[in-house]
Amino acid sequence: MLTKLAMTGFKNRWRDYLVLFSGLIMSSAIFYMFEALATNQSFLKANTGISLVSIIFQFGSVLLTIITLVYIGYANSFLLSMRKRDYGLFMLVGARKGKIGQLIWLETLLVGVVATLAGILFGTLLTMGISQLLINSLGLTLHHLAAWYFPAALKTLILYVGLFLLAGLFNLITLTKTPALKLLHSNDQPNRPQLKPVWQAIQIIGGTLLIAVGYWSMANLDKLQMLGIGIALVTIVMGTYFLFNAIFVGLIVWLKHFAVAHRGLNNFTLSQLSFRIHNYTKILSIVALLFALALGAITTGMGFHRQVPMMANASNAYDLALVNPTKTERDQIRALNPKTQTDYHFKVAKKAVYYQASEFNAHPFTTLNMRGKNQLAFKAVDNSAKQLQKSQYSYQLGQLQTDGNQLKAAVFLTPSAYHKLAQPEKTLTVFATKDVIANLPALKRLVKTAAKHDANYKVATNLGGRYAAYLQINSMYSGLQFMGFFLGVAFLAMLASCLMFKILSGAAADQHRYQMLDKLGTTHRQLTGAIRKEIAVLFILPGIVGVVHVLFGLQMFKFLMVTSPYTGIWLPFLIFAGLYLIYYLITVKIYQRIVLQ
Amino acid sequence: MPNTPIMTVANLHKTYGKAGSKQYEALKGIDFTVNEGEFVGIMGASGSGKTTLLNMLATLDQPTSGEVTIHQQPITHLKGNQLADFRAKEIGFIFQDFNLLETMTAYENIALPLTLQNVAMKQIKPAVENVASQLGIAEFLTNYPNELSGGQKQRVAAARALINQPAMLFGDEPTGALDSSSARELLDLFSKINREQAVSILLVTHDPFSASYCQRILFIKDGRIGQELKRGDLPRKDFYQQILDTLGTFEQ
Ligand SMILES: Nc1ncnc2c1ncn2[C@@H]1O[C@H](COP(=O)(O)OP(=O)(O)O)[C@@H](O)[C@H]1O
Ligand SMILES: [Mg+2]
Repeated sequence: MLTKLAMTGFKNRWRDYLVLFSGLIMSSAIFYMFEALATNQSFLKANTGISLVSIIFQFGSVLLTIITLVYIGYANSFLLSMRKRDYGLFMLVGARKGKIGQLIWLETLLVGVVATLAGILFGTLLTMGISQLLINSLGLTLHHLAAWYFPAALKTLILYVGLFLLAGLFNLITLTKTPALKLLHSNDQPNRPQLKPVWQAIQIIGGTLLIAVGYWSMANLDKLQMLGIGIALVTIVMGTYFLFNAIFVGLIVWLKHFAVAHRGLNNFTLSQLSFRIHNYTKILSIVALLFALALGAITTGMGFHRQVPMMANASNAYDLALVNPTKTERDQIRALNPKTQTDYHFKVAKKAVYYQASEFNAHPFTTLNMRGKNQLAFKAVDNSAKQLQKSQYSYQLGQLQTDGNQLKAAVFLTPSAYHKLAQPEKTLTVFATKDVIANLPALKRLVKTAAKHDANYKVATNLGGRYAAYLQINSMYSGLQFMGFFLGVAFLAMLASCLMFKILSGAAADQHRYQMLDKLGTTHRQLTGAIRKEIAVLFILPGIVGVVHVLFGLQMFKFLMVTSPYTGIWLPFLIFAGLYLIYYLITVKIYQRIVLQ
Repeated sequence: MPNTPIMTVANLHKTYGKAGSKQYEALKGIDFTVNEGEFVGIMGASGSGKTTLLNMLATLDQPTSGEVTIHQQPITHLKGNQLADFRAKEIGFIFQDFNLLETMTAYENIALPLTLQNVAMKQIKPAVENVASQLGIAEFLTNYPNELSGGQKQRVAAARALINQPAMLFGDEPTGALDSSSARELLDLFSKINREQAVSILLVTHDPFSASYCQRILFIKDGRIGQELKRGDLPRKDFYQQILDTLGTFEQ
């Protein structure tokens, strides 16, 4: 009988359950997605080669677990608030507490298990889809990437079901210990915004100090190593929460003093915000962190992505060299419209490659000489035979030779000495186009043609020049790029579902308030404006904090990146701002649709 | 001033349900007028169409046919900003379930219609304090609705309805959720406001005691006005008895 009653409650509130389920499915899907990468050691090893990455992932996993904990606590209180009234009614009509307890426990667990299983499935599909998308659009090569990874699924299931068992226990205790009447009327309890100046000052100072420590340890990761990430994680999470807690209440009370606050619906909006202030500070801290993680990950991914062509361009002055190119190959080179193209003749002996000095004097060979410590700052130098012989950068000529000859010493001979050598003469055609990245497909075709008569051209590591360097560096950094973008998308989705969840779970309660305002003679414009403002505050505050976190957080990557992690960050920031704005607009639309009908 | 109509209702019909689906005709042609400064009651059994009628009169719902004019202005076809302005300036409502915003203090609730019109803060404060002292809630202004009793909540709602000095005040069973002494207090307040400020009041109720405060009562049954009762100079107690007698025959 009671089970039947519970089921009808379920049917009546299917909309609310839909919000609850989609929030939980999204959360567990993202957790799975993250774990599928983070726990897949062979993927990490094969694609990064940097041990720090694996450590960063472990800490990321801890952080995500903390976020999940808060998220589930939050989802659970949503579930609880939804059911309080029903269970209060059951008690009023005389249902036994033991029976009700059983029901609550079962319902919580059922919701948890179903959502988690669906989430893992969805996460697998998401991993598959997103990784295909990234691999295709970024031109990445990845090894050992598995969308379905059992240990990750297991970890997700254990964490979520464990948390829901706890949540069920919590619900059991709260619901059976609270008198029925209180359950019936527990929905509309406003929080009087209270200013406790001393406590707030402590929170502000403490929060600022904690965040400062976090920023400092991220900047000094080289000394602190793993400890630094751990410190940063704990201090920044706590610091952000304290700051939001202290500032948010103060901000609203302070804003109410202004005349603008009493125009139109502004006061209503402020009251709305202060009404749910305690929920908001938690969610805003989480959103700020997720914002920072998503933006940071995308910025880093983009940094690596931008770095690959730069490194390739710094590796050699020439795109590619061919030995004894055929007529077709020469035609293909001509079609590339090369900036420079030179033929050097040579003969190969056991330990050396012999060139004619006169050819190099007539057509100097360009090397890229490093300037200072930065790997990417170089100076192009034209070398005569004599200069090249002395230059420490003569290896750049060697690189352009095919396999087997790359490490042999280059010797520049007078014409007579050269002609005395009995070895067969070959031609090395070196060339450089204006933009090796733009010409990648044509270069690939050229190498393929060459590979038909010379097996050396089948493998990129056998070749020299920018083209081969690009291929090698790209495959080396693919893993890092992929993780950056992948995690950026994952955190963004998590952020989206967090805020969405928060806002939609309040929408039902707001509906009657907006109806009331309508009856009082509020224009439609005033109502939509109030909604826009309320949601804008919820988006802007964590956004600002998130950006500040990222700006400091990028310090960590100065040890991993060749370029400064700050170069060109406007692009990922702009892209992210665009996505965030779109997300804001969608949320406003959905909310307006629910609340204003 | 007497006998100048402030509201006229002509041949009002309301049918619930779309054509083709199951339809129910809740109002079957209602005609009456309310004069300026009049305190009119509408009585009827539960389900007789009182709330339906009030919602039409107060622009909260649209009739299927017929017309309502308040202050010479036809209101049934108002839309958008005109409708909002009309609600904000010309009428006030009080509902059985208070309809206060629990996120705002009593003061903020009362001030809301004025802030919506962007009235300056300096003018809002005296206006709120004035209406609050009239209704005896001056000391509760900083309380949130859940910190008030039912009677106090309803007086806050009344203050909010009155702050714009509306031409008409509508009440849908405003005493329905109150104990008898709070109900009596509220009704005394209504009479006082009606007398002293000449606000026209339309009160919907099924309770004879509440109805006895009115000057004229329209009895509604099955979507039609069946009978009318005028108080004249009768003392309230006697009018109450007359209402009971009328109900006895009317409800048969
Ligand atoms: N939205 C609606 N849809 C369909 N029927 C309705 C609706 N609102 C009210 N009714 C019906 O109209 C009749 C009058 O209702 P109402 O005006 O609320 O009565 P009262 O307020 O006098 O108790 C009732 O029979 C009720 O079932
Ligand atoms: Mg009614």
